[in-house]
Amino acid sequence: MPINSALLRQTTRENVTLWGVLTAVQCLLVGVIGMTAPIAAAGIAYYNMLPGIFMGVYAITVGNKLISSQVDRGTLAYVLSNPVKRSTVIVTQVVFFAGSLLAMCTLSAVAHSLGAYFSTFGANSAEIQTIFKLNLGLFTLALSFAGIVFAASCLFNLSKYTIAVGGGIVCAFLLFPIMAMFGSKFAFLSNLTVVSLYKVGSIMASGTGWAWDLVILAAIGLVAFAAGGVAFVRRDLPL
Amino acid sequence: MNHVIEIDGLTKDYGEGRGVFDVNLTVEPGEIFGLVGINGSGKTTTIRHLMGYLRPQKGTCSIEGRNCWKHAAELKKHIGHVPGEISFPDVRTGMDFFNLQARYLGIRDKTRVNSLIDRFNLDASAPLKRMSKGMKQKTAIVAGFMADAPILLLDEGTTGLDPLMQKVFTELVQEEKAQGRTMFMSSHMFDELEATCDRVAFLKEGRIIDVVDMSLLGGNEPVKEYKVEFTSDEDYQTFLAQSFLVKRHRDDYKQVSVLLSDRDLNALFASLSGLDVRYITQVPRTLEDQFKEKYQESEGTNHAY
Repeated sequence: MPINSALLRQTTRENVTLWGVLTAVQCLLVGVIGMTAPIAAAGIAYYNMLPGIFMGVYAITVGNKLISSQVDRGTLAYVLSNPVKRSTVIVTQVVFFAGSLLAMCTLSAVAHSLGAYFSTFGANSAEIQTIFKLNLGLFTLALSFAGIVFAASCLFNLSKYTIAVGGGIVCAFLLFPIMAMFGSKFAFLSNLTVVSLYKVGSIMASGTGWAWDLVILAAIGLVAFAAGGVAFVRRDLPL
Repeated sequence: MNHVIEIDGLTKDYGEGRGVFDVNLTVEPGEIFGLVGINGSGKTTTIRHLMGYLRPQKGTCSIEGRNCWKHAAELKKHIGHVPGEISFPDVRTGMDFFNLQARYLGIRDKTRVNSLIDRFNLDASAPLKRMSKGMKQKTAIVAGFMADAPILLLDEGTTGLDPLMQKVFTELVQEEKAQGRTMFMSSHMFDELEATCDRVAFLKEGRIIDVVDMSLLGGNEPVKEYKVEFTSDEDYQTFLAQSFLVKRHRDDYKQVSVLLSDRDLNALFASLSGLDVRYITQVPRTLEDQFKEKYQESEGTNHAY
């Protein structure tokens, strides 16, 4: 895999603070929830709401910073003036993006499991498995968000357009399920968002139907990453 | 001879007359090639094509025989670059930036970067964000030259430098040339190009209007300009009446400037021999003279349409 270690290191340095803060808050929340609420209740109450928003915030901010903002500010010139292929830039940034999300979700699963394990209710291995499945689902949802913002980031020379288009789509996806709750008139909105593919209830129930939804989410992310990458490699850069 | 840089029919039309149009250039090994033109004439667009940031609409750019768009990354192993617009990556100090670039380039030996820092009297420990324009430019120059690359692309390399540092830069360019490096530099400062370049191309509205060989300027022109001042008005008038090609004359100073090829020089002295000359001097042709003349010529042809 063509990854540039100097770029990966620099990208990590530039984004580690936001990652750290969001991961810490997420871990703290799921840890506390794990200690105070049974897993079934926590699943419905928590995983349906907040983590998606965390992932959205991270995807929009970092997705923009990875490409678009560097083209906008011109700092990418000091990456591409070195013997680094554009495709290597893409792969490196995607590896960081997906890797940081995976790490965030893994830590979140560990924090929730620990919280539940030391709670008064305790946690059996099936429940721990559920926690990891919920976070795996969260990861694939985050991957689809990240892919969408990254594709926009690859396409636009200006950060403001990346935030407007990529961020706009992600925000809409997050808002639609909430709006759909305002009555049957708006119910159709829940069909227009990828968030609906992250079915907390079905993950917690027995059966494997949920797995296909997660495959679709991950596929959306990967296709968007690839499409953005191809566009970036082929286009003019005003550096 | 194999050209180091070859631009063949390069066209990039941004609309409304902006861009570059049918640019043809070659740069030979060890040559310093200058690109001069007013703002917006297409200098940066040309260099962006050479850097592989832009894909030509028509024509090709190649460096060392390899296409600049297709082989952009490999070519960077041989190219040092000072960009026209400098924006540093998100690192704290100048030294952090050099270290980052060194990692990209796989440079471990810091001797060259340190000698460049000394040379430009740069405080590399200063935070990048607080640097003045001149300090940023010096930092960019050090970064561009630190790789010891055989080819250098310099886009307005001396903007923001004080005269002392401009001189240091010019010396550096001359030294690098002596070591056989090939340089392609854009500028709108004529004296900078005069001091360094072997050839200079004039760019106007995205088109090359002239390429001058610098060895044929600065006093070595095939047709030279001589300024003669006479003591008496009578002699002044006598001289004016002769059939020399007069570029200009000033009655109040009794001065005449004539254009003369070397083989006609004896005719000039013959005609001056009977006259009372206060002084005679050769006026070396500057790059600026050449540029202004070509610029006006091209304006003229434009108006003719």
